[in-house]
Amino acid sequence: MNTLLQKIIKTASGRTRFVMAVIGLSVAMVLILAAVQIQVNYNDLLHSKTNQDSIANFLVLNKSINNANRNSTTLSDENIAALKKQSFVDEVGILIPSRFKASVESNSDRFPFATDIAFESVPASFIDVNNVNWKWDENSNYIPIIAPNMFLDFYNFQFSLSQNLPQLTQDIVKLIVFKVNIHTATGIISFNGRIVGFSDRITSLLVPQDFMNWANEKYNLGQQSQPSRVIIKTKDPGNPALVKYLQDNGLVTDADKTRFSKYRQIVNTVVNISWITGAVMLVFALLIFTLFIQLTIASCKEEIKLLITLGASPKQLQGFLIKQFFPSNVIIIVISLLAICGLQYMAYDFLQVQHIFISQFISYYTLLAAWVILLVLWFVNVSAIRKYIAVKDK
Amino acid sequence: MQIELTQIIPVPLKDKLSNRASDIWNKTVLFQSPQKIKIKAPSGSGKTTFIHTLYKLRYDYAGDVCYDGINIKNIQDDALATIRQQKISIIFQDLRLFPNLTAGENIELNRVLQAPFYEKEKINEMAEALGVASILAQRAGLCSYGEQQRIAIIRAMMQPFEWLLMDEPFSHLDQENISKAITLIKTECDKRNAGFILTDLDDDEHFEYTGTIQL
Repeated sequence: MNTLLQKIIKTASGRTRFVMAVIGLSVAMVLILAAVQIQVNYNDLLHSKTNQDSIANFLVLNKSINNANRNSTTLSDENIAALKKQSFVDEVGILIPSRFKASVESNSDRFPFATDIAFESVPASFIDVNNVNWKWDENSNYIPIIAPNMFLDFYNFQFSLSQNLPQLTQDIVKLIVFKVNIHTATGIISFNGRIVGFSDRITSLLVPQDFMNWANEKYNLGQQSQPSRVIIKTKDPGNPALVKYLQDNGLVTDADKTRFSKYRQIVNTVVNISWITGAVMLVFALLIFTLFIQLTIASCKEEIKLLITLGASPKQLQGFLIKQFFPSNVIIIVISLLAICGLQYMAYDFLQVQHIFISQFISYYTLLAAWVILLVLWFVNVSAIRKYIAVKDK
Repeated sequence: MQIELTQIIPVPLKDKLSNRASDIWNKTVLFQSPQKIKIKAPSGSGKTTFIHTLYKLRYDYAGDVCYDGINIKNIQDDALATIRQQKISIIFQDLRLFPNLTAGENIELNRVLQAPFYEKEKINEMAEALGVASILAQRAGLCSYGEQQRIAIIRAMMQPFEWLLMDEPFSHLDQENISKAITLIKTECDKRNAGFILTDLDDDEHFEYTGTIQL
């Protein structure tokens, strides 16, 4: 029966139109699937292991100081709660500054040093030093300290040279036990301090939080207790949304860590444009295809009428027409997917040379998108055919 | 299958027909297969309109037509298609063949529209009987009216039916061909125990009619 119907309802009458509709749909399909694949590649690149940087994932934030807010740079509980709610923030840790006066001095005459100093503490989960000595006991006289790497660099490459002192390795420094003095109202209390590790993450001298809480409570000189700095953990320090949030709220962080956000924004825009182009093309292509179906049905209006008069059911005709139009859509999608596979492999090949690694194969999301588009096409085909066949029957 | 007409009258012909005596217009009539009904009427009195109304091709009438008690106005497209495939076959006065299909393909189409009632060889057999076997491969649009009419008759015989509607089915045929066609139609109706409704201009003795009705 289908061969007879094919003879009656000649799609061949619109061969050029059909070819144009197919080309339009193919181009749109390649564009939209490419947009999906580009998005996936882009996300892969942003979040792949090779791109991840443990330092960059932690940012210390504080209010930028200007003449208006000098001496009032504390962060309120609302500020911190709002920060916690942001999607780009995984964790927020409060940096607690020491609120007592402290100094360190050398125990050794051979290697004398003494300086006033201040400490900070953060929750343990924000510390990148794993050391068994990193704990404090109220009954012991010992305070472990984590120093920023840059302090040692400063000493080794500037201070030691200018003072004619020997350069020190991390291991040597860790061996030195020195005196930590806390100046209280009733006099000086001394502890033994030792550097247990070096960190790139936070640029201050860190002591265990237990000690900080205890000492702040005990030796507090009566300053405010609201924090001024927080550390956040984020998956993506280059996230433009993060940078915008900081700007909007007058917060600053290490600009070096967020500088990629500008490029990110540009790439985001480009990717979004490819989305929009693909989507607009797809809508137009669907429109063209619908018009093509409509035109085919309209051009054999009389034949369809007679078929129905003779007893062909609208369902039979719809089924036949769907068989006429839909396979071409499936073929278009398959070819588009193959084209995307080819492009992806070429991109992989090309970027590999430049040490940018993307997958050799297309992503599941692209396949999923193709599947969804196929469903949309099915729906468009069926509804167009239903609509026009039903009209012809009246 | 029963076809019941209740007070039907075509809206466009209302004024013209209401002044005339008629056994059908504005009457209640019941046709029960396998009755063999002859509808006799002069030209322009609405024979084709009547057949088309029975076949649900037009809606511009007052009154009701029911198939087995169901008003055809309430029969949906796909259900109507099933009825046309299984219960009612038709020979149009204007033949209604697809001009671009061959004569054979026109017949074949009605054979395969539903689960085939006959094997394909039956087409040749009937075409032989009506003397059109030689034109089966010819485009229907190129056949003479007489040939087209015989093709249309064979086409109607290709499907199962309980009723056969015939609208002046022999108008383009000579006596010899008419009697061949009558033999075929009789055989096929008997085979299915089917009835028919035939319209024509004059009285005739083609079939043993159950009744002759004046339109």
